Amino acid sequence: MWKTLFVVLISLVLMAGCSSKESGTDEKESSGSSSSPKEEELVIAVNENFISMDPHNTGDTNSNSVQTAMLEGLLGSDEEGQIIPQLAEEYSVSDNALEYSFKLRQGVTFHDGEPFNAEAVKTSFERIMKDESLRLNSRGFNLITSIDVIDDYQIKVTLKEPYAGMLTRFVSAKILSPKLINDSSNDIGKTPVGTGPFKFVEWVQGDHLTVERFDDYWNKADRVKKITYKPVPENGSRVAMLKTGEAHVIYPAPVQNLKELESNSDVEIHKIPSTIARYVSINTMKEPYDDVRIRQAINYAVNKEAFISVVNSGYGLPLDSIIPSKTQFYSKQETYDHNIEKAKELMKEAGFEDGFNAEIWGNTNSDTLKGMQFIQQQLKEIGITVEIKSMEEGTLSDEIYGAQTPEEAKVQMWYVSWSAYPSDTTNATKPLFSSSSFPPDGANTAYYKNDDVDKWITEVNQTADPDKQAEIYSNIQSAIYKDAPWIFLGVDEILAGSRSNVEGVFISPTGGINVTDANLK
Amino acid sequence: MIPILFIVSILIFFFTHLIPGDPARLVAGKDATLEEVNIIRAELGLDQPIWDQYITYMSNLFQGDLGTSLKTGLPVSEMFADRFMPSIYLTFMSMGWALVLGLLIGTLSAVFKNKWPDYFGMVTAVSGISMPGFWLGLILIQIFSVQLGWFPTGGAESWKSYILPSITLGAGIMSMLARFTRSSLLETLRADFIRTGRAKGLKESVVIPKHALRNSLIPVVTIAGLQFGFLLGGSVVVETVFSFPGMGRLLIDSIAFRDYPVIQAELLLFSIEFILVNLIVDIMYSMLNPKIRYVT
Repeated sequence: MWKTLFVVLISLVLMAGCSSKESGTDEKESSGSSSSPKEEELVIAVNENFISMDPHNTGDTNSNSVQTAMLEGLLGSDEEGQIIPQLAEEYSVSDNALEYSFKLRQGVTFHDGEPFNAEAVKTSFERIMKDESLRLNSRGFNLITSIDVIDDYQIKVTLKEPYAGMLTRFVSAKILSPKLINDSSNDIGKTPVGTGPFKFVEWVQGDHLTVERFDDYWNKADRVKKITYKPVPENGSRVAMLKTGEAHVIYPAPVQNLKELESNSDVEIHKIPSTIARYVSINTMKEPYDDVRIRQAINYAVNKEAFISVVNSGYGLPLDSIIPSKTQFYSKQETYDHNIEKAKELMKEAGFEDGFNAEIWGNTNSDTLKGMQFIQQQLKEIGITVEIKSMEEGTLSDEIYGAQTPEEAKVQMWYVSWSAYPSDTTNATKPLFSSSSFPPDGANTAYYKNDDVDKWITEVNQTADPDKQAEIYSNIQSAIYKDAPWIFLGVDEILAGSRSNVEGVFISPTGGINVTDANLK
Repeated sequence: MIPILFIVSILIFFFTHLIPGDPARLVAGKDATLEEVNIIRAELGLDQPIWDQYITYMSNLFQGDLGTSLKTGLPVSEMFADRFMPSIYLTFMSMGWALVLGLLIGTLSAVFKNKWPDYFGMVTAVSGISMPGFWLGLILIQIFSVQLGWFPTGGAESWKSYILPSITLGAGIMSMLARFTRSSLLETLRADFIRTGRAKGLKESVVIPKHALRNSLIPVVTIAGLQFGFLLGGSVVVETVFSFPGMGRLLIDSIAFRDYPVIQAELLLFSIEFILVNLIVDIMYSMLNPKIRYVT
């Protein structure tokens, strides 16, 4: 009797097999027309979810990227990350670095039809000034004493004290439609309305965010009709999307797939020098690191070229100053070349000929771990035995910022990175090297204190004269580089991939994706 | 159910706040000063005593307010809205085919013990259970998306997007169910009442499905229920590989960011789902075996 059952079951299996085969062939036929995106739509796959669309309260690169498609500031930034006029046609800064005057562009409208003018700028800026919880508030906008509307298209902003990072803040402070701000029922973090080349369509949490061409945009050009941004955290999946054409641009492109992608004629790879500095901060207030010779010895002992090829798979540049070369006012320093003999000599001079035990902290990211192991292996050469402490990000943050005074700080070396806007040299120096920025007040985890540097950092922020700024920043860089409060490891190169029919999309040194002139051939 | 949920809510709330890491610092950024961090802490209500925070949380919860995400500033319910249904669909789809194939393979293997359907079934089951989801997912993308172009590599836009993730998720469960069905059915087939059934001349097509299979299903239903509950919680691996907008990745992201309201709401939701699934499993027990009844 079981034969009957056997026959029934087998036929069931066969039926299931056949039907799936049939539906499979359907798939193949239909996929050509429906699942491959039409050439009217540009798809960009990025590695992380977007956090918020509120431009005045954004800290992550990917949210910023999407916002720049829809929103504009008085100032913008070019391919190199340098500041250019955007909604302002012209701007000027007074000699005492307190007054910023803008002449606004005329004939600009918001996506909701509202006109763009000085009042609209004032509404946006006042929103940031009044709300202390907005990220931009504490970064410059809390220094504003008055906003004067001179006429419809002229506006003047006055600060109570000079702040050299302010121009970069005018790039970040996107101008939102006053109608959006004044109507409290709107959620700015979800549905932004600005003046950009694309307007918001929909945001499906965790899946995609779509924008569509704004036909009344002030700068007419041929642009793609729709752009969809997708968070795709898995590297292999992003690569697969680029290969199948499901995505036109992927950021970042994973290093391990570069060879495979480079051999694909439909795909182009872009390498962009970034403003991401990789370094290990050395606690200059702790023994034996309080001796500059020890810190220099550590720098001589680490082979930076090997670091870039081993840890960054060859994609990177040397960090030959305290700031990356794309940062404004950068000046190249004489680097600590790999020299074990010299390192040993310095160790001996400092009285540590036989080395010592050290500890390095970092997060649990696999690349960080690789980097720390590299440092461990390099420092072994000069007798320093490094113990690696890999901690989950929140715990690590507690350990670092939990210390209220330099004496309480337990950190010896921290493997970390820093990125500031290319135009914002203040943010690339002050939080890292000013003695007012010891944790928990900033990220000076080297507990670096140099009275000259402190004085210069204050001075450089009090002038708007670029020549004077360049001179002071040059002093700052050479003094700090000699003091070696960091192991200066390298500057990341950003990797992105695109289909060969993509035009007008570029990646900035901070990893932002600019789509202002995006089009598909 | 209500008392359980009340205890769960307390556990979730306090354990969430016990995780080391300061959300205010994470929101403010590495370059923030202590003053900025404190302003944000006050804004988020994290400067209040923990019991006050719990009372606020519970009273909001009773009004149907799950809170606002610390990270995105969006209401938690909105963040769930786009992710909840895709997770449910994916769970049902994965569970559906895993149940059908798992039972089928398990039954065939038991009925044809030590014959080729058994070997074939068990090889399939062992392969299914030993393939890591991460690897299987990437292989499926490579074959069916990149090479053949049948299915999209990810997302949740159409039913096609669900096929590959559901295979990846279901493979392990199917294998587990197949093995459980097989061993449980083999045991039942040796039971006296089966011998009696066969002795009195019942056809195999009646003995196997009606008497043997039905009596072997209790452990299978237990396992299936548990797996169903886990699936509802979302799968980080599959959601990551297929960039699927589900609940699992949201939880991991929220934990990394110490986004208390999202973590709490999500854990509470999972607890409710688990309690419901358990209830259904209990009901199924008594349907499968009327001897199992709750004493009132």
